[in-house]
Amino acid sequence: MVIDEDRCTGCEACVAACHAENNIATVGDDQAARGRAMHWIRVERYYEGDFPNIKVKYRPVPCQQCSDAPCEPVCPTYASYHNPEGLNAQIYNRCIGTRYCANACPYLVRFFNFFNPVWDKPLDLQFNPDVSVRSVGIMEKCTFCIQRIKAAEIKAQAEKRPLKDGEFNPACVQSCPAEAMVFGDLNDPESKVSRLSRSNRGSTLLSELGTHPKVTYLKRDTWHNGQNA
Amino acid sequence: MKAIYGLYPDPESAQRALNLLERAGSDLGFKDRDIAVLSGEPYEEYGFGQRDHKTRMPWLAALGGVVGGLSGWWFVSFAQKSYPMISGGMQLVTKWPDGIITYELTMLGAILTTLFTLLITARIPDWSGRKLYDPAISNGKILIGVTNPPEMAREELEKRLRAAGAEVVKNFGN
Amino acid sequence: MDKTPEQINQDLLRPLYHASWRFYAAAAILSALVLAAFYAWGYQIYNGIGVSGLDRPVFWGFYITNFVFWIGISHAGTLISAILRVSNATWRRPVTRCAEAITVFALSIGAMFPLVHLGRPWLFFWLIPYPSERGIWPQFRSPLLWDFFAINTYLIGSTTFLLLPSFPDFALIRDRASGWRKKVYGIVSLGWRGTPKQWHRLEMAMRIMAVAIIPVAVSVHTIVSWDFAMAPVPGWHSTIFGPYFVAGAIFSGIAALIIAMALLRKLLHLEEYLQPIHFENLGKLLLVMSLLWFYFVFAERLTTWYGNFPSEMAVFWVTQSGRYSKLFWTMVFCNFIIPAPILAIKNLRTKIGWTVVASIPIVVGMWLERFLIIVPALSHKYLPYTYGTYKPTWVEITITVGTFAGMGLLFLLFSRVFPIISIWELKLGGQKKPEAAPALASQEVAAEP
Repeated sequence: MVIDEDRCTGCEACVAACHAENNIATVGDDQAARGRAMHWIRVERYYEGDFPNIKVKYRPVPCQQCSDAPCEPVCPTYASYHNPEGLNAQIYNRCIGTRYCANACPYLVRFFNFFNPVWDKPLDLQFNPDVSVRSVGIMEKCTFCIQRIKAAEIKAQAEKRPLKDGEFNPACVQSCPAEAMVFGDLNDPESKVSRLSRSNRGSTLLSELGTHPKVTYLKRDTWHNGQNA
Repeated sequence: MKAIYGLYPDPESAQRALNLLERAGSDLGFKDRDIAVLSGEPYEEYGFGQRDHKTRMPWLAALGGVVGGLSGWWFVSFAQKSYPMISGGMQLVTKWPDGIITYELTMLGAILTTLFTLLITARIPDWSGRKLYDPAISNGKILIGVTNPPEMAREELEKRLRAAGAEVVKNFGN
Repeated sequence: MDKTPEQINQDLLRPLYHASWRFYAAAAILSALVLAAFYAWGYQIYNGIGVSGLDRPVFWGFYITNFVFWIGISHAGTLISAILRVSNATWRRPVTRCAEAITVFALSIGAMFPLVHLGRPWLFFWLIPYPSERGIWPQFRSPLLWDFFAINTYLIGSTTFLLLPSFPDFALIRDRASGWRKKVYGIVSLGWRGTPKQWHRLEMAMRIMAVAIIPVAVSVHTIVSWDFAMAPVPGWHSTIFGPYFVAGAIFSGIAALIIAMALLRKLLHLEEYLQPIHFENLGKLLLVMSLLWFYFVFAERLTTWYGNFPSEMAVFWVTQSGRYSKLFWTMVFCNFIIPAPILAIKNLRTKIGWTVVASIPIVVGMWLERFLIIVPALSHKYLPYTYGTYKPTWVEITITVGTFAGMGLLFLLFSRVFPIISIWELKLGGQKKPEAAPALASQEVAAEP
């Protein structure tokens, strides 16, 4: 995945879409105030300068799907594991809730079900049947909408053709009005996401940790900063 | 089991009694291993406390450690191969972390071997209550005696046990 | 000590037979606290781990603090007892049983916390490597599995270490008791008789165990520290953690041992057995560990500060002058500034009361140390957007209090069924040495008429 920070407007449509697609529990006001809100993708807001000359920077952060993920080897039950396509998958049934993976994750993109999930009405009427609901005591995280990946793969297989670039998108990418996010196959050097990830503007989050994330951020262009300076 | 024994108030008299029995064995018709010594505390400094001191326990413990370590290493490698799953970019059989488990199982092997060697060689647990024993040793007395003594030698033995300084001489198991 | 074996027997076995109303009152209060802790745990299992104060990003809080703390306390025992045995320090004799018991109890309590803190504690057995119908093995790369092996090895080892020298004492009780005690102690003494062979094998086994248990104890707390050091969290990912934790564990362990011994001395009237010299010697060890602890803290802080990595400095400043600074400086006071002078001054160190005054703040300080390692680091990870805080709820506080009560209760009960001082080893210390080579048997017999 490639995320263009230059395009992100911080509208959080991706957050809402992710909640709807992945049956993420709305934990309620109290729990959210205690820092237990679950947003598989979040839009980080950073402010630069003093009021009123403030510049706001947005950075949407889903799971970075590290190639060398710190969350994986610390899990004692293989709940956090690397699937053959290179995604960090979370197998809910295996999770016993040591929460070690969340501590090891430098990006803090893992979310824990402190209670059994609840949904404010009428959100409980719009579950996605393709995604399992997670119970209390389980870690969950962004899957890159693996249910959509699988569905597209099965469809392509049935039609005996390879997957096309951009044939489907995760919910966040699909819902982004500014088209700040691009999703695709990084193993295919010709895909749009591969080309963008090789951009001069590209960098990965906390690259000094050696986790080799599969999400590339495209920084704001210098002309943009120059204009405002 | 039958036995005749004397209870001695101090290690010196117990040692005298043992020396005496060791010499008298051939005359009176009992073997060295029929001589019984029981005490409420170990007397490593005295001859009677140093009987049966040959043991391979340290070597067995070391062997147990090696067996524990090898089986630990084998088990972890086996488990990792039988459920092959790469995680965190590490190799399938991760030697360094496996070394930790190998280490722990080495120590566990040594500890358990020591424990079982102790239990087996010290012949415990034994709840039968048929073995020679006298509760008086808990009050600091030392028991020196002969198990299954020849009937003819009983009186002579009793005399000699008393001569060495026994407070009382008793028969066991009759 | 010039007591006859009979007097020693009577003095040390008295607590097994007689208990004052104080014992029952203390046992009742402690049991109530333990029950409260179990209620809190049940409440947490029923409602979900969310009833605790844990949140994102502080996924580990009081529970893991208690885990590390109790595992640390457990190093009192076996490790100290083993070191004193290996170095053949004769003053150890009245101390070892107490120390070994602390180990077993603290370890059992500590080992409960990984279960208490699980999100789904009813599935804890998935941590155990057994061939299951799920066809899956646990992840041996996870430090939690190393913990599993290390703690179990240590638990088996230290229980053995506690029980082996108890058999002769059980046999002693069996011989002197009547009624149900005779039966029960007859069984647990395993039919111990006291042949030279048994004594020799027992002493040999204890020597091997002492040598084996020291590296196990070191590995246990090293692995506990690696639970933290293996995760790329600022303030955790450090090579110093292994020795730092081991030193801290022994430090808090000795402090706990001194407190426990002082209490037992008063409550069980063991003044003649636990003498100021024992407390002074332990106090000297405690002083060494206090200095060592300070050295480690200074080394860790200095390298962090000098390296000046932004993510680590966030954790650094929050403990030095930020939200957690009060706790941090309390810890330094408790672990170094109060105890080190007390223990360094001979006139104070030789008084039992003062060694206890030095030990109590250490137990508090070492608990705080574990808290300060876990919570500030977790609440200040790399991305400032994810900074958070942590505030425990009544559930965690009740469970924490309950573990301290549980420790007291276990010890209380222990002192009613075990002789709290190893009787045969104590007698061994007062044993008469042979004056000369034993006289020849032939001469003795010849002298008789």
